[in-house]
Amino acid sequence: MHRLERLINLVAALLEAERPLTIDELRFRLPGYAENDATFRRAFERDKEALRELGVPLVTEPLDVLHPDVLGYRVPKDAYYLRDPGLEPDELAALHLAASAVRMEGADGVAALWKLGGELAEQGPAPAVGSVAVAALPGADHLAVLFGAISARRPVAFDYHGRPRRIDPWRLSFRTGHWYLAGFDHGAGAERSYRLDRVESEVTAAGDANSFPPAPAATAATPAWEMGEGEPVVARLLVDVDQAGWAVGFVGADSVEERREDGSVVLAVPVTNRPAFRSFVLGFLDHAEVLGPPDLRAEMVEWLEAQCPG
Amino acid sequence: MPRLSADDRLQRLLAVVPWVAAREGPRLADVAARFGCREDELVDDLQLLFLCGLHPYTPDMLIDVDIADGRVWIRYADYFARPLRLTPAEGLGLLAAGRTLLATPGADPNGPLARGLAKLAGALGVGVDEAVEISLGSAPEGVMAVLREAVATSHQVEIEYYAFGRDEWTTRTVDPSTVFSASGQWYVSAWCHLVDDERLFRVDRIRTATLLGTGFSPPTTPRELAVYRPRPDDPRVTLELDPAAAWVVEQYPVEKVEPVAGGGGRVRVTLAASQRAWLERLLLRLGPAARVVDGDQELAAGAARRILDRYRDG
Repeated sequence: MHRLERLINLVAALLEAERPLTIDELRFRLPGYAENDATFRRAFERDKEALRELGVPLVTEPLDVLHPDVLGYRVPKDAYYLRDPGLEPDELAALHLAASAVRMEGADGVAALWKLGGELAEQGPAPAVGSVAVAALPGADHLAVLFGAISARRPVAFDYHGRPRRIDPWRLSFRTGHWYLAGFDHGAGAERSYRLDRVESEVTAAGDANSFPPAPAATAATPAWEMGEGEPVVARLLVDVDQAGWAVGFVGADSVEERREDGSVVLAVPVTNRPAFRSFVLGFLDHAEVLGPPDLRAEMVEWLEAQCPG
Repeated sequence: MPRLSADDRLQRLLAVVPWVAAREGPRLADVAARFGCREDELVDDLQLLFLCGLHPYTPDMLIDVDIADGRVWIRYADYFARPLRLTPAEGLGLLAAGRTLLATPGADPNGPLARGLAKLAGALGVGVDEAVEISLGSAPEGVMAVLREAVATSHQVEIEYYAFGRDEWTTRTVDPSTVFSASGQWYVSAWCHLVDDERLFRVDRIRTATLLGTGFSPPTTPRELAVYRPRPDDPRVTLELDPAAAWVVEQYPVEKVEPVAGGGGRVRVTLAASQRAWLERLLLRLGPAARVVDGDQELAAGAARRILDRYRDG
């Protein structure tokens, strides 16, 4: 008997089971396992592992209240079945295009698209490669675990900067080449952001599913100078014409306070992390100037003076 | 295509069965195309399927698979009525890919991709804007559009480009081959006629891009998308860094790192620094946390004075 046949029968039996099935019941119901006990157990372990690899939600639980120490297996239908997103053909085609234009390390887009209805044969020829922006997203450790926790709304625990953290995970962000997790840190009692490559331990579940309300809506990608705990100030930054376009692209057109005749701009930038803001401004070298508030300007002058004594 | 393992075939079959069962005899060729396999591979899998079902595997308990006239019907497989849910990695991969394309300058925020992503996120139980956020860096839309068209039609482009490392504007004619995003920035890789060599340009540093009438032959081999490759003859600089500046080691391609004996966690690093302005920025940002051990000791001071001049005039 082919292993594929046995695996299909196994999934069917576990899905149809109205109560957990013991290993002996499964052996009895499923043709194709070996007579020899040890061989059977090895094959069964391997099959279980294969199903879990595919994401089949195989649960192990006590048979019933009368037999609390006898364990059985089943696959709850509501955990197995994909909720139909009801994708229109053009939406599925667009997702398909996205999966082929963006390479994300460690994620296989193909299997996901099969589940959503496969590739659209009637889609016509693929668009010319040149017209599609190609992007590569690096992977990161813990990404899948954290995404699972976000969608289950399950708290997680891990070590960061030498301290254990307990977090309600809200959001994964990819910014400036790195993956970040944002969430509510129970220890700090506030929202925090963590760079995934700096997580110092495994990420483990630290509570039940649905233990916190849905995440608050993300604000636009938060720049580094707004990710601090300093007293908020609004910096006024003058940027020369040559660099104005890209400075505005960076902080957003909403921040433009004034456009001067020579093409330079004055930007109003909220700052809670002064070192990060200083680094941003220094990136313009002598093409930008902090106009105010006075203490922020004075700090910049002081920082620069310290670097050219005399 | 390599032969798939039983596990991979199971994965495909668990998606094929619900799709076929929900339809009235789709064509085998269409099913095969849709699920990315050959027709004979599909038929092999289907022929195994009609031996499957539930205990005791009497005819009424088996899945009914009917193949005739190039079409296929599947019945009595109610337990496979829906595909297996997406794993977290699959869900994330698809959402991230979609959000990435949406973050591309010029993407339609209300188009089919945006709608499809919203539905997908709903099925995964997350808010589409809340769970995954991708920023690829800013790039002027007009420039992006010109570059894409130039790549698609193999036409030259004249760009006004800000050379960040030298802090100056240049005008160049380039043959662009790819527009792509890496490490949170948009780049165009192109043959640059000013230096007669292959170069990467950051799109956000292109002020204007003008499509020229001249075509070029696109390169036949795909280019490596490496963002910065130090050359052997680039000048080197050696810095001594306080622990607070240790991020430099992660962020830049440093060539040598060694702890300073008795230096309380300080390290000495050597990096390729071919461009003056680049190193000026780095040193100004690091301030007292870095010292130039080998290289131009006056560089940071000179840059600081230049900037201070602005503050004193104003």
